[in-house]
Amino acid sequence: MRNIFIIAKRDLRAQFNSPVAYVVIGGTLLLLGVLLFVIQHTRVGNVSVGGFWEIDRATMDQMFLYLPPLMSIFVIPAVTMRSLASEKGSGTLELLITMPVRDSEVILGKYVASCTMVLVLLGLTLLYPIGMFFFPWHLGALDWGPVWSGYLGCACFSVAAVGVGMMFSSLTESDVIAFFLTAGALFFLYALGGLVTFLSSNSAWGVLSDGLAFVSFQTRYESFARGIIDTRAIVYFVSVATLCLLVSFRSLESRKWS
Amino acid sequence: MANDVMISASDLSKSFGSFRALDKISFEVKRGEIVGFLGPNGAGKSTTMRILTCFISPTSGSARVNGHDVFDEPLEVRKCLGYLPQRAPLYLEMSVLEYMRFAADLRHLDEETFRKRAKSIVEVCGLGQVLGKEIRHLSHGYRQRVGLGQALIHDPPILILDEPTSDLDPNEKAEFLDYLKQIGQERTVLLSTHNLAEVESACARAIIVSRGRIVADGPLDEIRAKSGRVRYVVAIQESAGEAQYRGRGAPPKKGDVEEALGKVVGVKKVSELPTDERAHAYELVSEKEVDLRPDLFKLMVDKGWVLLELRRDAQTLEDVFRNLTIGDERRNRRLPSASDGVDDDEGEDEDEGDEEDDDEGDDSEAGERDEKAAKVGS
Repeated sequence: MRNIFIIAKRDLRAQFNSPVAYVVIGGTLLLLGVLLFVIQHTRVGNVSVGGFWEIDRATMDQMFLYLPPLMSIFVIPAVTMRSLASEKGSGTLELLITMPVRDSEVILGKYVASCTMVLVLLGLTLLYPIGMFFFPWHLGALDWGPVWSGYLGCACFSVAAVGVGMMFSSLTESDVIAFFLTAGALFFLYALGGLVTFLSSNSAWGVLSDGLAFVSFQTRYESFARGIIDTRAIVYFVSVATLCLLVSFRSLESRKWS
Repeated sequence: MANDVMISASDLSKSFGSFRALDKISFEVKRGEIVGFLGPNGAGKSTTMRILTCFISPTSGSARVNGHDVFDEPLEVRKCLGYLPQRAPLYLEMSVLEYMRFAADLRHLDEETFRKRAKSIVEVCGLGQVLGKEIRHLSHGYRQRVGLGQALIHDPPILILDEPTSDLDPNEKAEFLDYLKQIGQERTVLLSTHNLAEVESACARAIIVSRGRIVADGPLDEIRAKSGRVRYVVAIQESAGEAQYRGRGAPPKKGDVEEALGKVVGVKKVSELPTDERAHAYELVSEKEVDLRPDLFKLMVDKGWVLLELRRDAQTLEDVFRNLTIGDERRNRRLPSASDGVDDDEGEDEDEGDEEDDDEGDDSEAGERDEKAAKVGS
């Protein structure tokens, strides 16, 4: 336990000592702000884009629409790419592993650090609902219930997505490759949701769409954004994270046998 | 206690795919010994060290460190080890002090012990000036020192250092070796290097590996004596320049000298050394028991040549090393192995040097190695 904490602390410090953390946090908040407040409200098929103002209701729904894809293709790959890949590349992993620590502690320590980083960013996005509906502006009486459930959904989503990122980071020695593999995989898992909506309109594809919906991050996440806390989804996200961590663990261990 | 075995490896083998990096290596290191682990690049030094530090597992065979098996009790093994990997891979974004603290935390030292240990390490490793600096801003020499510092932070009984001096300047090297001798008194140190001068000054014992096998293991004097041959350097005047030539007749031609030297009884090998146009210089090799000097002197007198230099050296560790490991170089350059004059020397040397393979005859062993070299080369 103690080793996990020590490794996580070092990793977090390294993240915040480098510009990456600030670029990621600043960039995400900025991008989210632009998507919410600057872009005009339009509808692309079933998905509405932009338009915090045009919706004319005291709601943060739009933010929870943008957060997961933004995190999938930008935040989580950037945070997790360095955790194992660059350590393998630069050889620092050898020094870390030859300390009296278990492989599992290394994986968990790094996972905890990446999760913390992503959750800190998620916490910072609270600035938008607070700024709009609490202080300094009071644009209306916001129903905080769906906001909290949305955050819970985002947190669960992040926990699983960071696991996916760790897995790809453990499979390669280059952080650039880890970034693109993670971004690709997360985008795919999320975009499956769109495919589900498309297929479910045709009854012939029912089974397939059900199957895809089972895997899709988006389908799992959607209920949270609507204010429903779905325990099946929580179990799903935690299972994905666990599976990915097991793969990372095995991949780290495989150095012994290669 | 003096005879405690701290590190013991038995029949360690490691294959990476079809490449056999280690081939049944066995050795023991006792408490208080500083052992030089020598070999050309790619001979298996780092692989052995990585197995001993439980970073990788052997394909077969076993190893014990301080009584703990590297396979079954990796944490116990790592607790009593200080390890410095090749090129000191440290976290560049951390400051030296932060790094030390991180290493101490992972080794569960309490604050007071950490302060005490850090203070003495900063002193002996000369880190006082750079404590607050980020490691990325340090020279390679300083990084090595930080690496050594983290390996010593928990006062381990065993130190495994993989080419610790490769990035140090000559002054730093000398300092480091002095320091090593100092800390090596109550510790066991396994030190890999390809710098032979270092081994001569710091270690009493050396293990020489080549192509994943131990080709020599023992006290340095014994290893030096192993080759059992002596080297002579002979320089004969070729042209006197402006001055008067003091020999009989005309100064000799290169071919004549070489031929004459080759005919002296007891000479096993003649090779030319680089010189300017004033002299012919040759290196001769003979068996240890024969002294060639009287015969060489007589040759000079008979021919009437002017002898500028005649020197007799026992073989240096460097020569032994080259002889024992020369097959590696040939493999790397993909030369066919049974083609040049060094070859028959190699066979004999290896036979004398490698006790484990003593039962095999000269020819069969050389042949087997040649086959292997050809296989790897292709």
